[in-house]
Amino acid sequence: MSTTALPAAVYVPVPRRASGFRRWTEREDVFSWLMIIPPVVFLLLLVGYPLAYGVWLSLENRPVARAGTFVGLANFIADAHDPVFWQVVQNTFVYTFFATVLKMVGGLGLALVMNQDFKFKNTVRALMLLPFIVPTVLSTIAWMWILDPAFAPVNWFLRYLNIANPGPSWLGNAHLAMMSLIIVNVWRGLPFYGITLLAGLQTISPELYEAATIDGASTWDRFVYVTLPLLKPVIYIVTMFSVIFTFADFQLVYVLTRGGPANATHLFATYAFDLAMGAGQLGLGASVALAMLPPLALIIVAMSIYMKPNKS
Amino acid sequence: MANIIRAASRRDVLTISALSAVGGLLGAARVGAAPKSMTLMHESSFIPPYDAYIKTTMAQAYEKATGIKINYDVVSVGSLQTRVTTAAETGTGPDMSCVYFNWPYLFDEKLVDVGDIAEEIGKKGGGWHDNVKEAVVVNGKWKAIPFGNVGQLMNYRTDWFDEVGVKEFPDTWDGLLEAGIKLKKAGHPFGYELGHGFGDNHGWLYPLLWSYGGREVDTDGKTVAIDSAETARAVDFCREFYQKTMFEDVLGWTDVSNNKAFLAEQISCTNNAESILYIAKKDFPDIGKVTSQAQNPKGPTGQRFHILAPWSHAIFTHAQDVKAAKEFLVWLMDPKNVAGWYDIAVSYYAPFLHMFDNAPMWTAEPRNLPYRDSLETSHLPGWPAPISRQQGESVAKYVVVDMFAKACGGKSTKEVIADAAAQLKQIFKPA
Repeated sequence: MSTTALPAAVYVPVPRRASGFRRWTEREDVFSWLMIIPPVVFLLLLVGYPLAYGVWLSLENRPVARAGTFVGLANFIADAHDPVFWQVVQNTFVYTFFATVLKMVGGLGLALVMNQDFKFKNTVRALMLLPFIVPTVLSTIAWMWILDPAFAPVNWFLRYLNIANPGPSWLGNAHLAMMSLIIVNVWRGLPFYGITLLAGLQTISPELYEAATIDGASTWDRFVYVTLPLLKPVIYIVTMFSVIFTFADFQLVYVLTRGGPANATHLFATYAFDLAMGAGQLGLGASVALAMLPPLALIIVAMSIYMKPNKS
Repeated sequence: MANIIRAASRRDVLTISALSAVGGLLGAARVGAAPKSMTLMHESSFIPPYDAYIKTTMAQAYEKATGIKINYDVVSVGSLQTRVTTAAETGTGPDMSCVYFNWPYLFDEKLVDVGDIAEEIGKKGGGWHDNVKEAVVVNGKWKAIPFGNVGQLMNYRTDWFDEVGVKEFPDTWDGLLEAGIKLKKAGHPFGYELGHGFGDNHGWLYPLLWSYGGREVDTDGKTVAIDSAETARAVDFCREFYQKTMFEDVLGWTDVSNNKAFLAEQISCTNNAESILYIAKKDFPDIGKVTSQAQNPKGPTGQRFHILAPWSHAIFTHAQDVKAAKEFLVWLMDPKNVAGWYDIAVSYYAPFLHMFDNAPMWTAEPRNLPYRDSLETSHLPGWPAPISRQQGESVAKYVVVDMFAKACGGKSTKEVIADAAAQLKQIFKPA
């Protein structure tokens, strides 16, 4: 009947017994596993299970609220014969490509400006994050008003300057609708790029710039030979994230156009949602959603080959 | 010693809590005992007093009479189908839900057969309007109790129509086109949704197609019939109607757009449920005074059509007490109880019971009378084919809407019909 008998009630460290356990947990191989297990379990439950279930669903003819029957690749074959599916593929690539490039260039510019010293620097940096912080659905509804041809400031301005009357139909014209979505996406995604690249910029040692300046490098040279190479790892990571998020975007389209006019802005996620939820065809919807994976994986692999910083 | 006692008591605690959990489950499932409460799920209504009325007045009355509390669970507009899907798939959640369009078909196996009470309610209410059975009778079984139709009518500005010399709302699509040409010239274009909304697009384009004699699929529910001279004429008309009376924006519109445009005095005519008139009367009384509603125009077939958009109540098979839920629906639909609910929404929901054909609610707002009259010519998207899974897919893919929208966007009639036919053949191909 010593203190060891009441471990739960009163914590009294008992060096000899605990030390064995502690020594075991502090072994490198054990400790690393202990650290990794929680996130792995978390990922398996919240990502792995839905993904596996999605794969299973896509191989089934599975009407909502009914038992499914295994159909193999029939859903994917149906997708391949569906003209809307191919339009969705094209739309998604156009959307992702232009939005990502614009965000990358704009974000880099933003980061370079924010990296300068100026008055109210911290306030401006904080404000810059606003588009990223505001819930997307809310900001997109605001954009809906901005793009409205009758009430909108954009068209009012065009009319005021006698450039166009009544002004373009931002969401009614197939090409303009896609362009508008890209603009809104860029607006929302820029701060993410900007702030991450800014963080990358600040890790670059000023001595490198000094050395380059002494060697006679111009501002442009310093940017190309010092800033860009050192920023490359950050650009790579942030672009990868951005491509994934943009490729699988849903909210913007769902609020602004729901895929219209005539499917001109339908993306994988919105089309999959319409099929799975609207039509109650979970299998077909899952197949469209999963069709996103191979091209996305290819893009990521290609990016890691061409953009990954060379470690040697 | 202390250890043993502690361990024992800990084990006891576990045992007791496990037992009580099982007991709780058993208690809930006990046969014969009335449940303490039941939940009815609804999408938030455009008419706020409608939700308030059942939440307070009706639920209280029912609790007083039976001791059963009715929880009225309101979900936001546009999200009901997702919630019903979740409830049906997981077998948990509300006991009853409001269902739309083809949902009784979609969720068939997870909904209780309510044929017995449908007959009882029908008898008490003077019989059901026949065409609502399209939406709620699945394989010969009633899967929901119809409540009311949220119809779509022509909404128009009487003052502007007057100004261009159109005193009566045109009876045919051609007449409407003629009026629209004059009105657009006078700076008051029309605005009909041709984008990817939930309802207003289907709400006028299916009736337009039908009134020209076109159809997606034959009555057998298998043979694709979209590629016809009738469809071609409807498409040609739609393109002309769009070009001469509207503006490009409508191609990208969703369901809120036409309400906004009408109340902002941008357009002189659109199709919509009663929400435009209701909001106009409440918030824009000047517009409310000069807004009226009419049935859809007739096509070359001499017939007019409307979209059937019934709100019905269904009981999930997972309901804790199906009998109690049925008793509640019988009580709810009893003419003396449900009349108050219809009245509070001032004929926004057109009853499917013949007893209400001449109810006082119709005199409260005579401009809503066409909603009653339109019931007889209302059908679900895809009519005259019976509701089917393929039909649901066609609607979700906007096949008919996009056929018209593409034509308005500049593609040839032949091309857009061929596109639609190819899509429909893919959707309706025999498994």
